[in-house]
Amino acid sequence: MELRTDIAPIAIDIKNLSKTYPGRVALSDISFSVKKGSVHGFLGPNGAGKSTTMKILSGLIRESSGEFKISGKIGFLPEHPPVYPNMTVADYLEFVFAIYAPASQNKRAAVKDVMEKTGLSNVSDRLIGNLSKGYQQRVGIAQALVHSPEIIILDEPTVGLDPVAIADIRSLITKLKKDHTIIFSTHQLHDVELLCSDITLINHGKIVVSGPLEQILENLKTRMTIQARVVNFTPDDKAAMMKRFQLESLQFKFDEEKKNFLLEIIAAAPESLKKDLSHFLAADSIGLLEFSEVRLDLEELFKQMVH
Amino acid sequence: MYMQKILILVKKELKDSFLSPLIYILTGLFCFMMGWLFFNYLLQAKNLTSATMTQAVITPIFGNINFIFVFLCPLITMRSFAEERKQATLDLLLRSELSEMQIIIGKFISNMVLVFFMLSFTFVFPLILAFSGYSDWGVVGSSYLGIILSVMAYLSVGLFCSSLTDNQIVASLLTFCILLGSMLMVISANATDNYLLALIIQYMTIPFHYEGFVKGVLRSYSLVYFSSYLCFFFLLTLKSLQARKW
Repeated sequence: MELRTDIAPIAIDIKNLSKTYPGRVALSDISFSVKKGSVHGFLGPNGAGKSTTMKILSGLIRESSGEFKISGKIGFLPEHPPVYPNMTVADYLEFVFAIYAPASQNKRAAVKDVMEKTGLSNVSDRLIGNLSKGYQQRVGIAQALVHSPEIIILDEPTVGLDPVAIADIRSLITKLKKDHTIIFSTHQLHDVELLCSDITLINHGKIVVSGPLEQILENLKTRMTIQARVVNFTPDDKAAMMKRFQLESLQFKFDEEKKNFLLEIIAAAPESLKKDLSHFLAADSIGLLEFSEVRLDLEELFKQMVH
Repeated sequence: MYMQKILILVKKELKDSFLSPLIYILTGLFCFMMGWLFFNYLLQAKNLTSATMTQAVITPIFGNINFIFVFLCPLITMRSFAEERKQATLDLLLRSELSEMQIIIGKFISNMVLVFFMLSFTFVFPLILAFSGYSDWGVVGSSYLGIILSVMAYLSVGLFCSSLTDNQIVASLLTFCILLGSMLMVISANATDNYLLALIIQYMTIPFHYEGFVKGVLRSYSLVYFSSYLCFFFLLTLKSLQARKW
């Protein structure tokens, strides 16, 4: 599914990117773009290709084919923050600054500034190994920021953190979005809804949908997801429904506990289809027990599109 | 600018190493063994002439220093890349303004500084001999040069093996196996009847080239050998790091 993107300067433009390993395709011909100044959510189940894409963008691995353009310096936080446990926070950030911006003379000022931004000023003299996971994650974000990149790529910045730490990271990203383009991968769909202006959904190495979040959610409203319980249901019933109602998909399974069939129907169709479907399922041979429409939010979209 | 970037890494590596107890344990062990050996060689020397001192003390003590470093160098280099891989900081270095070769050279220089630190405690040996009138400083100088060149070769092997794994023990064992194999090739050279083959095998072993330095003989082909050895393993390490991007 491709959606029109606003005409705004592009920070990252990916075209037909692929990455293959022996016996496995990690990315298959993906294309999407990230607008300058946006917060771009990068979603997908485990093993979908998010980390591979981010590592290619940050230069850690080479693509097999395709191209991408990046306008600006990149700061990257991988899934495991690359920190030295035996260094103090200040020494570590000074070292990172020195190897990422060796020509610059503003080391102390840059480090002080980034420590203030990330709330690390009060732990600057502590060994990183002695900090909590939440603070280590902040140090990881700080190393991505210290050399003043235009674009920040965060690979699952909230994984393994407690709710308070997640909230801290969320407010940090909110602060950062004023001056940076941010692309981050996460499983916290609530964060995506709160923070992101655009999203890209990836599954099995292919782009499922990419574009402005509002537009994606708006398009979902023209699609219905209906859950129903019936007494009997056969593959012939499924074939008949698919043909008659032009459904997008229909999944059914037998519920061992309740001894009936659970149906999940997805259709891009007008409201009147609900009435037609319920009449069909109410037939004696099928026996309708329950019928409800599932609200389409981002979580439902995630579940459906990666099913 | 090229060296400046390398020195940033060297400074950080040295700070890390000297804050770790490992270097002090290894240095203590090294000083104890060398001191004990030197003391025994000194006692065994009968007549205090320069020739006797060179044969009875200098040659064997430097032979032992070289041999001990075959065991110590794997321990010095094992964490160079293996620990970086384990704590996910190798990617931090590879994404930086440092090239792969600058990273390799930086780690190599920091390991050499650690070796110099350990070796500096042996400077007391020729000083002690000087008090008894020993004056064959050419042999002492060439012996130290031989040690330095041998250790550079050992460290280059250690860096390569460290870049292959994220397990420090595996890295040190792999290094030790390669170095020991290189030493044992001398036996193969002695065992063969083919003179030319024996010469070729001998030329490929470190002890053959080191021997000349301890005798006070500086052979240009030995300098070529050690340079080639270093370049070969640096290249292998470079390819090992570049392979992470494939």
